[in-house]
Amino acid sequence: MRNFTSKLMTGAATFAVVAAIATGSVPATAKPLLIGLTSDASGQYANSGASDRRGMLMAIEEFNAKGGVMGREIKTIHIDTETTPATGSRVAERMITREKVGFMIGAVSSGVANAISQVAQKYGVVYLNTNSSSPTESGKNCHRVKFVWDGNGKNFAQAAVQNAVNKYGKKWLLMTNDYVWGHNTSKATRQLAEAAGAKIIDEIMIPQGTRDFSSALLKIQQASPKVIAAAVGGDDQKAMRTQISQLDMGAKYAWINNQQDWPDVYGLPAKNLFGVFGTTWYYKFDLPGVEEFNAKYAKMYPDTKMKVPGNVFFNGYWATRSLLEAIEAAGTTENHAVIKQLENLRIPAATRMQHDDAFMNPNTHQMQQTIYLATANLASKDKDDMFQIVAHASPAAVNDASSNETCKLESMADTPKYTP
Amino acid sequence: MDVILNLLPHLVNGLALGLLFALIALGFMLIVGVMELINLAHGSLFALGAYFAMSIIDPNLSYFGSFGDWYSALPLALRYVVALALAPALVALVGMGLEICMRRTYGKKAEYGLLLTYGAALVIEETIRITWGSAEQVMPIPDAVSGAFFAGGMIYSNYRFYAAFFALFMIIVVWLFLEKTPYGATIKAGAHDSEMVRALGVNLTRLRLLVFGLGASLSGIAGIILTPIWGLRPHVGVDVVIPAFLIIVVGGIGSFWGAVIAGVMVGLVVAFSGAYVSEWSMMSMYLLLIVVVTFRTRGLFGKKSALEN
Repeated sequence: MRNFTSKLMTGAATFAVVAAIATGSVPATAKPLLIGLTSDASGQYANSGASDRRGMLMAIEEFNAKGGVMGREIKTIHIDTETTPATGSRVAERMITREKVGFMIGAVSSGVANAISQVAQKYGVVYLNTNSSSPTESGKNCHRVKFVWDGNGKNFAQAAVQNAVNKYGKKWLLMTNDYVWGHNTSKATRQLAEAAGAKIIDEIMIPQGTRDFSSALLKIQQASPKVIAAAVGGDDQKAMRTQISQLDMGAKYAWINNQQDWPDVYGLPAKNLFGVFGTTWYYKFDLPGVEEFNAKYAKMYPDTKMKVPGNVFFNGYWATRSLLEAIEAAGTTENHAVIKQLENLRIPAATRMQHDDAFMNPNTHQMQQTIYLATANLASKDKDDMFQIVAHASPAAVNDASSNETCKLESMADTPKYTP
Repeated sequence: MDVILNLLPHLVNGLALGLLFALIALGFMLIVGVMELINLAHGSLFALGAYFAMSIIDPNLSYFGSFGDWYSALPLALRYVVALALAPALVALVGMGLEICMRRTYGKKAEYGLLLTYGAALVIEETIRITWGSAEQVMPIPDAVSGAFFAGGMIYSNYRFYAAFFALFMIIVVWLFLEKTPYGATIKAGAHDSEMVRALGVNLTRLRLLVFGLGASLSGIAGIILTPIWGLRPHVGVDVVIPAFLIIVVGGIGSFWGAVIAGVMVGLVVAFSGAYVSEWSMMSMYLLLIVVVTFRTRGLFGKKSALEN
């Protein structure tokens, strides 16, 4: 009898465990959630890609420290997208079909982001474009599965152009990195500048990989514009800034640099940071939570050369954190439910450490947030305190209305279901 | 007249740029010419030279007490000169180490050498990343060569002209070494017929070691001179290998003056295309290559091979 009772108890316990696993109420045995990190580790945006990845990992670390998401430990796999769209497609295909990732996060190059998102849409995998800022990413290249976290070229141009026309003059010249982000950003700048009464006297194309800007800089001198709006990014921009600085041309013209990513300028001398430029965040904000955020960064990355978090890190962190919060709020990893959560995302300014509440535009899937205008902080003795914020604009003031018209999201019905 | 005045700054700029391209190709040309080896680590050695120089110019000597203070107090120009002498020597040592690793590939298919130098390039780049970090760095340059000057209503960079003159100086020094010294004569003879040179009692092993060391040090010098213009990051060498290869093909493999003239031609083409059809500026050097190779397969000054006779 005792033997029978023992067997009965064992059987009941086994049944209970199996039932608990089947209903998903035993977190300890839950399958880890694999997230694919699609950031560049080589090419023009290798540095920014590393910063982007650090941001994602810090958010994931926070969740894992409290038991993961829905009790599932979060694991990551990173494959270098090489700042090359073709590689981006290949990496996305491999991550989904072979590695079986649940979600994909990461991009700096708009060309790469566009390539990844096409593959993601095919399979229904939610993809976060953390840091690429071509207006087309939330415009004609938008997708139901893709969410864009950075301000775009048009947002930054809106914050800067009118002010520059009034202050510096109407004779403008554009410098354009010869790829999708450069083209679309310069196009947006051109429209806004012309609408504000400026005349674009020339547009100099800068092929990706350009290291010598001497011809372009001589041409600028021959054209003698009042304002130069540069949409040049990554390593190209670093070389450009160095050469402009060597010619002492930084102070001679009014430079509007559409956006300035922290990894692109960190460590450069202050005189290389001429002009005004857009950004989405600065580590010196006197806002609640910033100090703790900086401390957490310093603790997690004590050996990194960048001693303070920048805007690229910030976007990587917030995109990842918001995704994981959306999964928790949805109570499932099923893509349609997560997409709905993200489409309705609102984050109070105090939580997001910005000056205005941020929200996801459900029509374009672009995060609407405060846009800041910054310039070099020449008076600073602290080598990390490189910027001074000269103005900030609310999401409404820099709204990219054209994306609302050009973005045609696929319907939910046309987006395959995917439950990692 | 206006047209000439408009073109003149671009002509001057193109010539300066061309000399810098020639400097980039010098070390590559020497190794290809003598050893018939395409050194894919050329760009990494270029970067390594710049990083060594930066560490010599602006070192972290906090552990060395009073010596560190004394060295840091030396004028920047002096530390720069020390770097210009010492960093290429260090790169030469690395190059010699690489040559020793290469020895088992001699006489085998060219792919072995290519793969080994490619692997070396990756190792050097990663070592740079680990040692100096992946962030952008700035190499300090002496005040005497920084800043800008006005000429004809245009601003020109002092450093760019210093760099171009330095490149010209190095071209002349290397030419004198090859043409006017017994070592140079041996190197040239080795390039022409290595077996005959060996038969004449020249230590071919030592000759190859010397050539690789010299070629590597020239790559390092190019890195020191170019990175204040291009910026300094671990993968800066990637920007160098293809132009260097292209220049020696256009100039004719093994031809010293061919490489120099091709460098100047590439500089002029890039400068003018950058000014007038900027979207073609990167492509322009490849178009030049296609044009030259179409009409003269062995490059401008390349010698006929035995097969062509």
